[in-house]
Amino acid sequence: MFSPVIGEPLSPRQRQFDEWLREPGLPPLLSLQNVRKEFVLDRRRVVVVLEGIFVEIREREFLTIVGPSGCGKTTLLKIIAGLIPATGGEVLLNGRPVAAPPAEIVYIAQQYSKSLFPWRTVLANAEFPLEHHRHVARRERTERARRSLARVGLLDAADRYPWQLSGGMQQRVAIARALVARPTVLLLDEPFSSVDALTRMELQDLMLETWHERRLTVVLVTHDIEEAIYLSDRVAAMSGHPSQVGEIFDIDLPRPRDQLATRSASRFLELRERLFGLVRPLPAEARR
Amino acid sequence: MSAVGARGLGAGFLGILLALWEAAARMSGAKAALFPAPSMVAGTLATMIAEGHVFVPLAESMLRLGAGYVAGLALAVALGVAMGYSRALDNLFEPLVELLRPIPKAALVSPLMFFLGIGDLMKVTVVALGVFFPILINTILGVRSVEPEFLETARTFGIGTRSMLAKIVLPAASPQIFAGMHISLGMGFVLVIVAEMISADGGLGFAIVNAQRSFRVKEMYAWVVVLALTGYAMNALFMLLRGRILRWKRDSWVLEETAAQA
Repeated sequence: MFSPVIGEPLSPRQRQFDEWLREPGLPPLLSLQNVRKEFVLDRRRVVVVLEGIFVEIREREFLTIVGPSGCGKTTLLKIIAGLIPATGGEVLLNGRPVAAPPAEIVYIAQQYSKSLFPWRTVLANAEFPLEHHRHVARRERTERARRSLARVGLLDAADRYPWQLSGGMQQRVAIARALVARPTVLLLDEPFSSVDALTRMELQDLMLETWHERRLTVVLVTHDIEEAIYLSDRVAAMSGHPSQVGEIFDIDLPRPRDQLATRSASRFLELRERLFGLVRPLPAEARR
Repeated sequence: MSAVGARGLGAGFLGILLALWEAAARMSGAKAALFPAPSMVAGTLATMIAEGHVFVPLAESMLRLGAGYVAGLALAVALGVAMGYSRALDNLFEPLVELLRPIPKAALVSPLMFFLGIGDLMKVTVVALGVFFPILINTILGVRSVEPEFLETARTFGIGTRSMLAKIVLPAASPQIFAGMHISLGMGFVLVIVAEMISADGGLGFAIVNAQRSFRVKEMYAWVVVLALTGYAMNALFMLLRGRILRWKRDSWVLEETAAQA
């Protein structure tokens, strides 16, 4: 399932969209204002994980945050999702501070084997987000779940339990389930890190397709720099201790992206080299 | 070795032991009255069943066990979820639980008789107390070990607290709860029999004591056989139920498939 449009020129709509994305002056959809997070270990020790994080995320943007393991990427994503509170600063969604998890945002946990509910079949997992909406009738719920599963090519597996699926299939179910909720923002925590290389490329392209189709805003964290460049409009690099968002790179590679053509473009290699210099593993003593 | 072969071996071994018992009893001569052969016990049991003596005591014991089990289960799961969920409630109840838990519940039959008499209420209470603790402990552990990813995922989809308990916490903790329920089933069975033996008020426990005191030895053994078969059937039923409810668990699938092959 690699991108079917290898070498095809950009469609006018796509080009328009790319230009729109880079248009200055649009109000941000999500805005991280001086976000700080500290964890209290015991009475004497407090670890500051994130400090002075400022990022503005535009509507329909694909933004990736890269950083070494243990730098607090996951923590930042959970703060954006409203799952854990920031110690300082705030996250604004359409100008309003995020406190509880907002309906517009869906967070997909890193360990999909733990994020799918093992006691539910694939279909029942996909129906889950709609069960708390009284206005969605049972039949519509099933219908929407089935459509979403069909979109990721897993309708045949609807009656199976998660453990009966491969890692890549489980991740597709997690994506399908998230889409059922019709979010505007998708937060992905290293979503493709524990599958084999080929499956990872398939999932990356699936993610790009759904991002485009559903006009989503995606914030993804990863430690894989090439993945970040391949997927994103912009890449934010986290570094330092406590972590800060340093430079944010515009990824000016044309869309739709293609696993072969994009990754071998000279601009891709150039960006990769620049990012590698910024994202170095933390020294051992600085890790939590 | 195939599953069929393994079962055949076990059944064959059981047959050999029964044959040895039969032979030993027949050769024991005068002591045969205290040491009846399996064939004689089986004959007595058949007569007892035919004359309708077995059903009433069996039903009495099962009803008491059932009532106590359900009561203990409901209370233990409710308190276990609360203690697993809330640190404050755990701090409040933990010392009490740890003090009451080690008491062998059979020892409570005598004191409970003062309060509740020798009737059904006392026996049901003893069973409920015995059933309560293993399920409580396992429920607490099960609730505490729910993967945080489950909770985060549920929250990102906007689930409320009550739904969180019913739809995430209980199903996620259910394998552990079933482990406690399994232990409790055996414990409850022991306790209902002991309580009936002490209070001499019907049921299988009293039937055994009664047969013993009247020197109806074959009948006494027959009651023991009834207990063995009842316990076996209860366990089989429990495993079937557990397999149904935990169908989503990988290991229960494996078990079911093995059973289906056999």
